[in-house]
Amino acid sequence: MAQAFPKKPASPPNAVTVAYTEKTPTVQSYLPEIFKGLGVSMSHFFRNTRDMLTGERPDPVTERLDDGITTIQYPEQKRPYPQRFRGVHRLTTRDDGSPRCVACLCCSTACPAQCIFIEAGEYPEGDKRRGYERFPVRFVIDELRCIFCGYCVEACPCDAIRMDTGIHPVPYDSRDQFIYAKSDLMGLAARDGSHETANPRHEPGDPTHPGIDREHGH
Amino acid sequence: MPTFKLDGKSIPFEPGESIIRAAEKAGVEIPHYCYHPGLSAPANCRMCLVEILPAANQRAMMLDIVEWDEKLGDYRTIKKPKLQPACQFPATDGQEVLAEQSPHVIAARAGVQEFLLLNHPVDCPICDQAGECKLQDYWLEHQQTPKRMHDEPVHKPKAVSFGDTIVYDAERCVMCTRCIRFMEEVAKDPVLDMRERGNLKEVIVAPGRKLEGHYTFMTEHVCPVGALTTKDFRFKARVWFLKSAKTVCQGCATGCNATFDYDPRTNKALRYRPRDNERVNKFWMCDEGMLSYRDVVEGRVPEAQVSGKTVKIERALEEIKKRFASVQKGSIAFVLSAKHSLEDNLALFELAELCGSRAIYTSGAPAGYSDDILIHADKNSNTAGIQNLAPDAKSFDALLADARAGKVTHVIALGGAAPTDDVSALEGLQGLCVVAAHVGPLTRAASVVLPASAWIEASGTFVNAKGMRQLAEKGTEPLGSAEPGWKLVAKVAVHLGVEPSWTTLKDVRAMLVATSVPPPEPSQTASAE
Ligand code: SF4
Ligand code: SF4
Ligand code: SF4
Ligand code: SF4
Ligand code: FES
Repeated sequence: MAQAFPKKPASPPNAVTVAYTEKTPTVQSYLPEIFKGLGVSMSHFFRNTRDMLTGERPDPVTERLDDGITTIQYPEQKRPYPQRFRGVHRLTTRDDGSPRCVACLCCSTACPAQCIFIEAGEYPEGDKRRGYERFPVRFVIDELRCIFCGYCVEACPCDAIRMDTGIHPVPYDSRDQFIYAKSDLMGLAARDGSHETANPRHEPGDPTHPGIDREHGH
Repeated sequence: MPTFKLDGKSIPFEPGESIIRAAEKAGVEIPHYCYHPGLSAPANCRMCLVEILPAANQRAMMLDIVEWDEKLGDYRTIKKPKLQPACQFPATDGQEVLAEQSPHVIAARAGVQEFLLLNHPVDCPICDQAGECKLQDYWLEHQQTPKRMHDEPVHKPKAVSFGDTIVYDAERCVMCTRCIRFMEEVAKDPVLDMRERGNLKEVIVAPGRKLEGHYTFMTEHVCPVGALTTKDFRFKARVWFLKSAKTVCQGCATGCNATFDYDPRTNKALRYRPRDNERVNKFWMCDEGMLSYRDVVEGRVPEAQVSGKTVKIERALEEIKKRFASVQKGSIAFVLSAKHSLEDNLALFELAELCGSRAIYTSGAPAGYSDDILIHADKNSNTAGIQNLAPDAKSFDALLADARAGKVTHVIALGGAAPTDDVSALEGLQGLCVVAAHVGPLTRAASVVLPASAWIEASGTFVNAKGMRQLAEKGTEPLGSAEPGWKLVAKVAVHLGVEPSWTTLKDVRAMLVATSVPPPEPSQTASAE
């Protein structure tokens, strides 16, 4: 049986037919068209300059994509990001400043770009969490490899990793500067400046912890 | 063979076998926590309940229970058959058993799961059992509902040190008593027991004692949940990142079947687990053996050495050429090692033959502790192998004596280990070339050392004390510039001016067929998990 090739889809109703430029002598002789093109650029340039001087220029920072200049002077000027914008990661802390991360490696398991490296360790002798929990001795994220999918944030059972810093990686000039270590990640704050998480956890032993145990009354 | 029917499937069994064991051997898993094929069956977890249909012309034992009736808005009494624990119930010929097909069994499994998780802390993110935990697996398979109890769970002691090796978390324990039974029945040291009742129950160590001995790691291994963890492995890795190789423990001549877990991303050895083989080690391994995975990096010879200085392998081979140039090839002595694989030993044996030398000696680690459970006094994994290969090889003492008498001047040896620490007789030799994975008296005395890969870095064959030939798979990549021993022996041969007849592992294995070494064991396992 003869193979039926898929038909060319019909043009969408709102399609605009682009007129083919006739090869008129002005087109073929090249230079007149060049000057025409330059003319368009120059007219934009002069109009934008005039708008700037008369203060009529639309504010590109608030993302008005009307006529006029829509480019901004990044990083001096920044567009406001939506509340749920996923920026550079941070590691949240407990009240005592220790990382909330328990080095469960759920984030690095979920990460499709495999850009999270964690080395787990045990709290030192004398720490009240020793024996119960682990913590990340090293926690490294390669921000250059990250695709900002947010899976790590979703995967974390402890709300220890978040992408609510509101910043995206600064344009560094070498690769190693994009490799954020644990201290960098813990040093970053949320947009409201806090280092703690918005979802505090009741830890065993806390006065807020509802549990009874051997040490705290039966 | 008699058979019984499980969900309509016919399952053969040996007389006296429990339903769960027969099903397991036939590849059907009945969920269980307290049952372990190597231990007695206390039937206390109730996860393995099955419905056993009464024999013809008999009535089933029925129980009166109450069930909540949604329509009625009240409880009503119904009858349900009495379920039986498959781990303790012996299979009988022609019996009909329902598991997956019985609504009562399905309800019972979900109920048992919910009950076990009532007070469970669900520490999974920090629990080292995550990824190989029965509670997780069975929750997904048989429950999938949240628990209905909203009270704060009972809190019990966490991170209790049971001894130098094991940490106990009472909150995670499901009271299956596997660890207690293991210590009593296999290790013959009933140091663990339980105290309290109900949800306050916990495992304790006998007063004044610690969990110690040669088999403490096994308690962790039999624990179906994360209640017992070894101090060695806890918090080190998540099992889902690890790769495993089927290997043979090198600790002694028993040759326990083991699974070697390593992290392929970092090429890091992480642990040993026993691999079931009822004819060798059943389901067990000893502590020393379980910790011997560390030998992959500890005490290794990572680089070639000439007179104690680290050099490139090529440079070391040139040195061998120089030192062995003056000697008649037939008078070189060759030393086989009981700590190296059959492949390495065979290559050296072949080299001796190609050189026309009759001076073949053996070496290996000195004997040590033994017991009547698993541990063998012979601390070499391949003594039987080299005995089969070269039955008339002379002992290491003979080598020392011959060296002292000046009968031996040039030696090519495999393995750093020697039965004695005092090898001063070998220090004066004109040439002592050692191809070794691990340092030992021989590598310290050697003039030239070549770095061989360890047992886990190259596929190799070992013959245990019972004469069973077992294959160890390759796991991690070689350390430093280590290469398989047989390959290095081939290079040495070239530098001695002989043409080796083997260049690939296949060649060496083909030569192995022609020797008197017993044929390989078919791998025989019956999963304990
Ligand atoms: S945002 Fe996505 S790619 Fe980036 S670290 Fe998280 S999981 Fe990985
Ligand atoms: S950040 Fe969260 S998910 Fe990642 S290791 Fe730490 S606790 Fe686990
Ligand atoms: S034993 Fe560990 S992994 Fe298993 S359910 Fe409990 S906390 Fe989670
Ligand atoms: S510690 Fe583990 S093996 Fe021992 S009783 Fe508890 S759950 Fe069972
Ligand atoms: S496995 Fe049968 S009751 Fe526990």
